[in-house]
Amino acid sequence: MGRTYLGEFEELVLLTVAILNGAAYGLNIAEELKKRTLRSINLSGVHVALYRLEEKGFVQSELGGATTARGGRRKRLFSITAYGKRTLDEMRQVRNDLWGSIPNLSLS
Amino acid sequence: MQQPKPIPSPPAWADRLLRLVCPDDLREELLGDLHEQFDQQVAERGEVTARRLYAWEVIRFCRPYFIRRRFSIQTTTSTTYSPSFLSTTMLHSHLKIAFRNLWKYKLFSFINVMGLSVAMTACFLIALYVHFELTYDAFHTKADRIYRLATDLKTESETIHYDISSWAFAPNLKREFPEVENFARLSVKERLVRKGDLKFQENKTVFADASFFSLFDFKLLEGDPKTALSEPMSVVLPEKTVRKYFGDSDPMGQTLLLGDEGTPVKITGVMQDIPANSQIKGDLFVSMISYTQHFNKGIEQEWGDFGTLSFLLLKPGATPDALADKFPRFLESHAGKMMREHKMGITMVMEPLRDVYLYSKRGAEESGSRANVTVFSVIGLFILLIACINFINLTTARSIDRAKEVGVRKAIGAAKGLLARQFIGESVLLCMLAFLVALILSTLLIPGFNSLAGKLISPGILSNLPFVGGMAIAALAIGCLAGTYPALVLSSFEPVIVLKGRFIANAKGVLVRKGLVTGQFTIATVLIIATMVIYSQVDFMRTRELGFSKDQMLVIRAQNGSKRNAFAASISGLSGVKSTAASSSVPGGKNSQAASFMENNAGDMQGGNLDVYRIDFDFIPQYDLKVVAGRAFSRDFPADSSQSFMINEAMVKVLGYSTAQAAIGKRVEQWGRTGRIVGVLKDFHFKSLQETIKPLTFRVTDWWNGDLLSVKLDGRNMRGVVEAIKAQWRQHNPDRPFDYYFMDEFFDRQYRSDERFQTLFLTFALLAIFISCLGLLGLASYATVQRTKEIGVRKVLGASTGSIVSLLSKDFLKLVVLAFLVASPLAWYGMHRWLENFAYQTPIRWWVFASAAVLSVTIAFLTISFQSIRAALLNPVKSLRSE
Repeated sequence: MGRTYLGEFEELVLLTVAILNGAAYGLNIAEELKKRTLRSINLSGVHVALYRLEEKGFVQSELGGATTARGGRRKRLFSITAYGKRTLDEMRQVRNDLWGSIPNLSLS
Repeated sequence: MQQPKPIPSPPAWADRLLRLVCPDDLREELLGDLHEQFDQQVAERGEVTARRLYAWEVIRFCRPYFIRRRFSIQTTTSTTYSPSFLSTTMLHSHLKIAFRNLWKYKLFSFINVMGLSVAMTACFLIALYVHFELTYDAFHTKADRIYRLATDLKTESETIHYDISSWAFAPNLKREFPEVENFARLSVKERLVRKGDLKFQENKTVFADASFFSLFDFKLLEGDPKTALSEPMSVVLPEKTVRKYFGDSDPMGQTLLLGDEGTPVKITGVMQDIPANSQIKGDLFVSMISYTQHFNKGIEQEWGDFGTLSFLLLKPGATPDALADKFPRFLESHAGKMMREHKMGITMVMEPLRDVYLYSKRGAEESGSRANVTVFSVIGLFILLIACINFINLTTARSIDRAKEVGVRKAIGAAKGLLARQFIGESVLLCMLAFLVALILSTLLIPGFNSLAGKLISPGILSNLPFVGGMAIAALAIGCLAGTYPALVLSSFEPVIVLKGRFIANAKGVLVRKGLVTGQFTIATVLIIATMVIYSQVDFMRTRELGFSKDQMLVIRAQNGSKRNAFAASISGLSGVKSTAASSSVPGGKNSQAASFMENNAGDMQGGNLDVYRIDFDFIPQYDLKVVAGRAFSRDFPADSSQSFMINEAMVKVLGYSTAQAAIGKRVEQWGRTGRIVGVLKDFHFKSLQETIKPLTFRVTDWWNGDLLSVKLDGRNMRGVVEAIKAQWRQHNPDRPFDYYFMDEFFDRQYRSDERFQTLFLTFALLAIFISCLGLLGLASYATVQRTKEIGVRKVLGASTGSIVSLLSKDFLKLVVLAFLVASPLAWYGMHRWLENFAYQTPIRWWVFASAAVLSVTIAFLTISFQSIRAALLNPVKSLRSE
């Protein structure tokens, strides 16, 4: 499979972008991740992951409107691309196959 | 009305940092996210925590991804970027090219790296020295509040500037002025110290107040700093003294015998060895109360007895000037009557502790010279400057070789900025290489440097890591700065012209290079002239007729009175001993000063604090002092021991007599003796030649003084004679060390600091010459290569080797001569100022300049001929064949 490599953290960020669908930007992605994974997440890491994902073509972005909460600064809103969705689907498929292949799996 | 609470805002510096590291196109969204998060955190966890978290978050943003992107070429698409400068491929290529170039032009690379690293080493060592000198006494945490209390003593004839003060000053100041928090007095004496068989004459036996350890930051390893020096007869030893007397055993509570009478003193503390950059030094510290209550009882009530260094600790916030304003009234109330009786005016002066070493002109055990620090800093910078000039020079000159490379790079699309960065990068690389070499050199040179300076400036490079860091940063900065000019020149070549092969170095560049070479030869010539002048001054001082005989003279620290006489009698019979004489002082050493009154030309009793030599009857003939009027002291006149004085010619002048004869028979009162002047001695240099000969008085020794026994030897079998004398000493004084020195060495010791200065200057002059020669060599070899074809054609047409060598050398020699013309007046002025420090100076002679000129031209010529002769001898077939 000639797919671009996707790191674990990048995958998490990509999934979060998919969840927040269209309203995703650095800070709320970080918060969402913090809430769901209970890891300590820092903004800079999220941003780097987002820009990498964009360079690889998994997400696309546009600048949103200005709000007073951010001192009048605009947000960059990210959304998942079709290629990104397909990649996530493929990865999930691969994992499901792998899980299914474990013998005597006990799910208790 | 209450101010509205300001809206919490994140730290401004963090925002600035973010702007610095993050790419411009991402700034808005990143700052937005960060500020939004900050506002949330303020609400959840309070402003203080939020600010801390914010700063931490921003610091986390300083990651390679953003920094790389920040400095990459900006593209129009929103978040993609194209790597360029720091992409690994280009970096690899640049590094490869850089190393290939280094290797291809081995001589150039060697000159560049060697020149720079030698200069860096010199600079590094000088920086260590300057730092050492500037941080004297800086390790005391209260140093900024400590002042040395010194005294100016005004007599009728002169004002004497003492570094010491009276025992009574400091304690009374503390009692009367609340701004004085504490004080510590130190009195440095010489004492015999014994423990069992061990006996040493300790030159630095220091009596110190109990407050010593609370004022100064000397650490006690054992004992209580508060009480160690509070009891009489207690003593604190530095570690090295402990090793000397006790080896590895525990000294606490043990006793030493102090002084000739052997008073037992108890060891109450062990202190860490005193740092090299401390003015206060001592071999043992005895409680001051032992001195003021026992050895010299009542001294604390003597307002006119100056003999202790006093240090005052002022309360925080107290202004020294305000305190000093109160001194005159303070002195008047305590010592006014005494001052009028003795016709002396006392002024107390406070000097900040940190300034004492470098700035105070008053006498001190150790003193630094602000001028030396400046001179060496300037020299260090000069040397570095010369090396930088070479670097720029060579790189720019070499640029033509690389013009083709630049042309090709440009043709395939390299931007000017990229090329500039490549060349700056190369120069940084060279500088870092030089830095590594310099590091190795410095490590090797530090021990030699310490002994040259005569101080433990650095125990090793590992203890100066901040300086190593500084040097690394300097190397980086030099690389960037020195690389900038060549980089700009190189990157601005026009590819079309360069690739056509018709590129010629422009005239402006040549002029700049010539200017730079002239500059460095100027510096080198100044240093050559300076070194020669310093040498001739030191030589002048060492060979000048001093007015007394110092050769084959042994001086022994004997005791006073009958013990000394018995010993003198026992050795005067030894073969090889010509004569002996006792005195309280010898030339080149210390002497007492006494309040004296003498009848002057107007018939008044003129008062003054005068230098005193107490000598016996044999002193004048043995030292070969000339009597110019009257007679010398003589055993034939019994009154000489109690009523006669002799003076030197300088004294005659101060008293206002026109001839020495006129002073004979005049009245003198000094230290309890009244009498008359019986003779005048011709002036002799009893101090170093830095000082003019001062007025001096002579009187015959009493039984309680005159402990220096001068022994004149006949010069044969010196070692054997000294051994014989030593054997006699052991018999007479089994419990005292045999302490002696030779007069000529002792006197010349005064010039040790000048000799060090001379050696240092010589070293730096050689360095400067070496580095300038490297530069010249590089440039000359470059010029020769450029003219290879021309030389070939000339040879074919019949030019002789000589004519070609002179053709190649002429241009450079012109520069050296110009440099000499610039350097001479500068050097003359500088050395004139330096010589003003000496009362007796050698004139700056014309031949100093002449020989400097000959020297620099010869050195330059030899350097150039390395290249030019080779070029001139080259077979023209070889040089013309290439096309």
